[in-house]
Amino acid sequence: MRSLMDIAGAREASAEPVTVDGVTVTPRSRTLVVRLPKGGFVWNRPTAVLVEQDGRVRRIPIIDVTRVAQMGLLGLALLTAGASLRRARRTEVPA
Amino acid sequence: MTDSRDASPGESDSLLDGAGEQASKMLERILAAAQPGAVFGQPVQSGSYTLITAAEVTSGGGFGAGMGRGPAPKPDAGQSPSAEAAPTTAEQPIGGGGYGGGGGAMSRPVAIVAIGPNGVTVRPVVDVTKLALAALTASAAMLRLRRTMRRVRKARAD
Repeated sequence: MRSLMDIAGAREASAEPVTVDGVTVTPRSRTLVVRLPKGGFVWNRPTAVLVEQDGRVRRIPIIDVTRVAQMGLLGLALLTAGASLRRARRTEVPA
Repeated sequence: MTDSRDASPGESDSLLDGAGEQASKMLERILAAAQPGAVFGQPVQSGSYTLITAAEVTSGGGFGAGMGRGPAPKPDAGQSPSAEAAPTTAEQPIGGGGYGGGGGAMSRPVAIVAIGPNGVTVRPVVDVTKLALAALTASAAMLRLRRTMRRVRKARAD
């Protein structure tokens, strides 16, 4: 029996660093890999860039604005649906 | 897709070996998307700026193989004389097998990393079409829910 770690795993990795005018930028990405007996799935997304300048390292996150907005819209729709259902149930109860 | 008729056990084994080879090649291609290099593009120089594109990459796939064996069908009365004249193959089992697979990959730009005179900045890439579609779908679902509930309430009041 394969363990869950063999089937699915997430890890963060660094891409090749880029140096421009004394500034070294190292892109970072997070990967989710699912290995199935007859196939597989990979989801790879950028997470941040590490900026090294004058001996100091700064992390700038990469935010997926489209995904955040999509999730916000989904949340808003679910909240509205929940509120409507609660209101309907409240009006159903006899006084 | 491969198909074999009258496959002997040896041929079936080679068919499955071929399927395994193809499957491992496909899995390698799928897992290539797990490399950080698949997410970040090569640096591009534009004026005093160096730009690196960052994208979300999704890929997946699957494959399968199958085979079967059985006794040869008995010749029918309506068959051609040449078929009747052929030696019977009732003792020789016939079989077939095949393998196939499919997969796909998708990439979506997320941000652009700009290295310039003002330092390093990350500029997000907003997919307006995707957001507009999501907003339209969400508002249509909410409107439909409200309309349905109003109708139910009205029916109960009557």
